[in-house]
Amino acid sequence: MWLPFLGLLFGLALGLLTNIQIPSVYENYLSIAVLAALDTLFGGIRAQLQHVYDDKVFVSGFFFNILLAAGLAFLGVYLGIDLYLAAIFAFGVRLFQNIAIIRRILLNRLDEKRHKKNKTSIE
Amino acid sequence: MKKNMYTRITLVLFIIGLMIAVQYNTIQQPAERDTRDIWDIREELSMEKQRHSTLLEEIRSLHEVVDRYEQSEKTSLQAALSETVNRLQTQAGLTKVVGPGLILRIEAAPELIEMGYVIREISPDLLTQLLNELFKNNAIDVAIDGNRVVQTTAIRDINGRTTVNSVPISSLPFEIYVGTSSFKEAQKMYNSLQASSLVDSFYLDNFNLVIEEPMTQLTISAFDQPLTNDYLTEVEKGE
Repeated sequence: MWLPFLGLLFGLALGLLTNIQIPSVYENYLSIAVLAALDTLFGGIRAQLQHVYDDKVFVSGFFFNILLAAGLAFLGVYLGIDLYLAAIFAFGVRLFQNIAIIRRILLNRLDEKRHKKNKTSIE
Repeated sequence: MKKNMYTRITLVLFIIGLMIAVQYNTIQQPAERDTRDIWDIREELSMEKQRHSTLLEEIRSLHEVVDRYEQSEKTSLQAALSETVNRLQTQAGLTKVVGPGLILRIEAAPELIEMGYVIREISPDLLTQLLNELFKNNAIDVAIDGNRVVQTTAIRDINGRTTVNSVPISSLPFEIYVGTSSFKEAQKMYNSLQASSLVDSFYLDNFNLVIEEPMTQLTISAFDQPLTNDYLTEVEKGE
């Protein structure tokens, strides 16, 4: 259960300690990739909570979303359209929706637990 | 199956963490904030532009040399070489120069002598400051009290005496000859020296800095000492 968090911490630590930097030209792409990754992550958590989690969908979605977002941003630069805004918008909206759904599911579960406890105490 | 899933999520989270950390690093990169205002940047830009034009000028002059060499290759290589040697010698200050320029005279301020002030020798710092000001105003050849200023010239205090090229400056008053590229430049230098605060700096040290009118024919003596050269060596013939 704690393994994923360890992975996150390890990644953060590695990045911060090695002080890797990318050229500021690619900053936009990385920020969009981070957004896409977060979106996929929360989508995965939601799917897990809704019992529809699929490994293949998750992993492929992760890489595909990142590539698509960065590709869109790249294309946007060359077309003179701020296409990365589209990616930010889409991922941002989905991120919020996913988090809202996760919150609702967790609240429902909490409610159910409380309900059960009350029931047992009444009995 | 479940273990497999965790491994993959861990891997994904690891990548996310790494990306976030790299992004954080990149955003934090300019640790020192750029606080220059538009005038500072303008000034810097103009400085760089000036450097640019200097470099261009240098390139042009080198091109000219190449052209000259190419032209004279058939006629006389020796003439071209000796011409280059002459030009380099002039540049290094090894030849007498006659051209437009102006004379600065440094003398003790008479009213201060009457007041009982002691007039000391001019300090090397003040002289250096004057030289910097002159070169800032596009001076080309400078001779302080007959001592030509070249690349290796040192102005310093030796046993309490201010020296130029290790030769002590004669007692006041003495003259500084400044050569410029054109008479117009000399006039410009004259005006800007008149307006600069240098005269005040000299007066603080009890000197009068007299700036004489620009002249068209000013003779500046050559550097008369051997030019020591510790780092350059002659290439052996045939190498």
